[in-house]
Amino acid sequence: MADVATPAVDGHVDAHHDEHHEGHHTSLGISNMKLAMWLFLGSEVLLFGALISSYLLSVARFNQERAEGNPLVTGPGTELFDIPFTSASSFILLMSSLTMVLAHQAIHHGDVKNSRIWIGATAALGSLFLAGQVYEFTVFYREGLGFTTNLFGSAFFTLTGFHGVHVTGGILMLTSLLVLSFQGKLNKDRHETVELVGLYWHFVDIVWVLIFTIVYLVV
Amino acid sequence: MSAETIAADHHDVEDHHPTERQYWVVFVALAIITAAEVAWAEIPLTDDGGPLLVLPMMVMMIAKFILVAGAFMHLYFDTKILNGKFFWWIFGSALLLAVIVYFIVFATFEFSIF
Amino acid sequence: MAIIEEPLALPSGDRPTVSNPLGGLSRPRGATGLKDWLTTVDHKKIGIMYGAAALFFFVIGGIAALGIRTQLAAPDQTLLSGDAYNRVFTMHGTVMVFLAVMPLGAAFANYLLPLQIGARDVAFPRINAFSFWVFLAGGILLNTSWFIGGGANGGWFNYAPNNGVAYSPSTGIDFWNIGLLIAGIGSMTGAVNLITTVLNMRAPGMSWMKMPVFTWMTLVTQFLLLFAIPVLTVAQVLLLLDRGFDANFFNVEQGADPLLWQHLFWIFGHPEVYLMILPAFGIVSETIPVFSRKPIFGYPFMVASGVGIGFMGWGVWAHHMFVSGLGPLSVAAFSAVTMFIAVPTGVKILNWLATMWGGKLLLNTAMLFSIGLVTQFTVGGLSGVMHSVAASDTQQTDTYFIVAHFHYVLFGGALFGFMAGFYFWWPKAFGYKLSEKWGKAHFWTMVAGFNLTFGPMHILGLQGMPRRMQTYSEVQGFGLWNMVATIGSFILGVGSLLILVNAFVSYRAWKRAGRPDVGPDPWDARGIEWMIQSPAPEHNFDVDPVITELDDFWHKKYAEDENGKLVRVATAEELAHPGNGEGVHLPAPSYWPLVLSIGIMIIGYGLIFSLYLCIPGAFIMMTALYGWSLEPADDLDADDHHHGEVEVAHG
Repeated sequence: MADVATPAVDGHVDAHHDEHHEGHHTSLGISNMKLAMWLFLGSEVLLFGALISSYLLSVARFNQERAEGNPLVTGPGTELFDIPFTSASSFILLMSSLTMVLAHQAIHHGDVKNSRIWIGATAALGSLFLAGQVYEFTVFYREGLGFTTNLFGSAFFTLTGFHGVHVTGGILMLTSLLVLSFQGKLNKDRHETVELVGLYWHFVDIVWVLIFTIVYLVV
Repeated sequence: MSAETIAADHHDVEDHHPTERQYWVVFVALAIITAAEVAWAEIPLTDDGGPLLVLPMMVMMIAKFILVAGAFMHLYFDTKILNGKFFWWIFGSALLLAVIVYFIVFATFEFSIF
Repeated sequence: MAIIEEPLALPSGDRPTVSNPLGGLSRPRGATGLKDWLTTVDHKKIGIMYGAAALFFFVIGGIAALGIRTQLAAPDQTLLSGDAYNRVFTMHGTVMVFLAVMPLGAAFANYLLPLQIGARDVAFPRINAFSFWVFLAGGILLNTSWFIGGGANGGWFNYAPNNGVAYSPSTGIDFWNIGLLIAGIGSMTGAVNLITTVLNMRAPGMSWMKMPVFTWMTLVTQFLLLFAIPVLTVAQVLLLLDRGFDANFFNVEQGADPLLWQHLFWIFGHPEVYLMILPAFGIVSETIPVFSRKPIFGYPFMVASGVGIGFMGWGVWAHHMFVSGLGPLSVAAFSAVTMFIAVPTGVKILNWLATMWGGKLLLNTAMLFSIGLVTQFTVGGLSGVMHSVAASDTQQTDTYFIVAHFHYVLFGGALFGFMAGFYFWWPKAFGYKLSEKWGKAHFWTMVAGFNLTFGPMHILGLQGMPRRMQTYSEVQGFGLWNMVATIGSFILGVGSLLILVNAFVSYRAWKRAGRPDVGPDPWDARGIEWMIQSPAPEHNFDVDPVITELDDFWHKKYAEDENGKLVRVATAEELAHPGNGEGVHLPAPSYWPLVLSIGIMIIGYGLIFSLYLCIPGAFIMMTALYGWSLEPADDLDADDHHHGEVEVAHG
């Protein structure tokens, strides 16, 4: 997903230009990188909006066809969801948002050591969430739901897969932050770099808040 | 106000970031709402779906959304300084646009979440 | 002011060591010729490359158009088979919309935005270069389908389920899909970049309501892109998964509703229509005041109507789908919003007319093209309002009446506006004026050819000739007007090429005359982009301009005397920056945007032909991202420029 990675990866590099400028030199008094990140997230809102809408419409069609007994529609549907398991992984992702914000808090106060711990914890929790998703996908596949099985399968794996790719991108960014930190390039003056990754991370978390409620609990 | 004083104010205010404790409180609130969501989905009362299931769920989902965006993404705290207003505009307009546009799509498909 | 003037200082005060992970692709210094163009991050050069690429694709799309017109010249022609005809009209539409008109807007936006707001460059110069290269990669990938994929054949909006493997087994649709997906990445990054630039990098004193109209229209355009592109991206990803990985999103057997594609496409597609026309509106809002010798009439209304079009453009998409069975309520609602969107557009037309009213009109080529836009767009706008009436649209939809309508707005409107922009800003970009003699020939052949081609299509449409019809028989009675349209299209084809002839002839005449200096302000214009030398120096402004008025440059040149009479208080030469870039530090060129785009392009081919090809593509992409990250945006050791020592905090 180059369109995801590019602005963010660039953020690591270009961000240190900007922090000197926060509050001056720009017309709005906002750093360019932060503004760009928000614009990018605005674009992502429409992206996930379209994905969630496509999912809902596809699942509605799938349920209707299955209820009407369309012989071509086979394979399991939303009854596969394992709510306790997904609740646990949702909790993990929420937790990672907390550690992310604590990482920013630490670096903002110049506490490099703690910021490393929190960044590492965020990446670890993110990876745990991702592992849970892989496990969930495997279970579903064993129970007969492949990507091509039916409309629900295509829509479900696409939506959650897209989110998983975004989590993966976030983990790569967090890892890069750790590398920067151990190289001594991440300190109080560069707290905005952490904040930018944080913005992205929280956004991915928000998307999961929507997916968890809408996809798993409601529909 | 000259650029320098704006900048100085800006840094002053930015130091009023929420404390760690406040972040923990937000997190606990998020965890509780999530638990309530799961509980509400699982109780027999809401087995048939419908507004009784969906409406409280939507309220709780939006509450979580606002908590993460407002507290963790600093939208709430940033509004006090020059920063936040603009981010609200960008994110808010994107959100509003998405909600309106996709709800119209649902309407034309006669799709109902209930 | 601009971030790029700030040297890259580590908090410790040390200078960073420049990483050099890949020797051969390390930061180019003092590059000239081709290498300079391949690695440049200068917004002006990128703008020129956008323009050149757009004109190149315009020629390809134009050749396809002439193929269509030749096929339709007379009844029962067999020049193009049904299959070939499908491919030719699909590629014509796709190339013209995505690879000619959209990048022309990007060309002007890139070249002019920083100049109009008094900035050194865009906010992220390397991402800017990447936006261009990835657009070009997508465009080239799409066009290679002429040779290796057979060309896309689903029409430019490529409806489902016709776009599925079952009905379109050739790879043409894949080229369409992936080419536009890749080009869309460039549009998205470009939008983030340009919006950040306008919002954050305006010169001191340039408040919202002192921004030039072109800047405003570009800002609206880029917001439309920012929010519309992801919707198309989703539609295309779903199609990609359907075609390449057997997903079921548009698989009717599994109960899927193919109307989903139409919704997603037109949610993108209608803002797309406005983002093609708004830059042209911005351009003529700059030229008409200059050549009427009057300020723009109703500037706040001009801005507000542009923003209003931007908002309302999101609420009209389903008028493309009136015959798809939306239901009466939806049709009525979309019908009403579509009628309403004519209001802000009408405001614009009125304001241009009021600007010209009572002005001292100078009818040179740029002005003629601007008036051409106002006139011809109005014709297209009026037939557009006809389509908002759903009952009447049901008759007109998918006939040549629609074809006539959107060519009047996109060719007669947008493209004429871009031509006006070329004539107007050519001296700023290249240092010489285009010939007026050739220019007028260019304009009048285009007007004649354009109206001969697309005027008769209104009649054909009302006679009932369906759009995308490969041929027709004599008894249908379409022969006469089709012949007229075909003759017109060849006149139009010749006319369109005259801009290239003009550029060549004018350049030769200028060179023979010993390259005379055209001066900073050849038109006695209004915007601050005329305050710098022509062609624009690499560093744009010597010092940040300080803005006190709308049309700041004009107000620095002219003032009122005690009788309220306009008097010149300063010449442009006195006001112009001499072009001395001493002490200005510019962003340094880079290979990585180009390499990254090549990697993405290879992945694109991999998705069409063999997933194994994605592996080297992904490797190149990751290498580029890694190289990009390690390469500071700024090059402190650059000594190739004439700028010498880095000046700290120039702004």
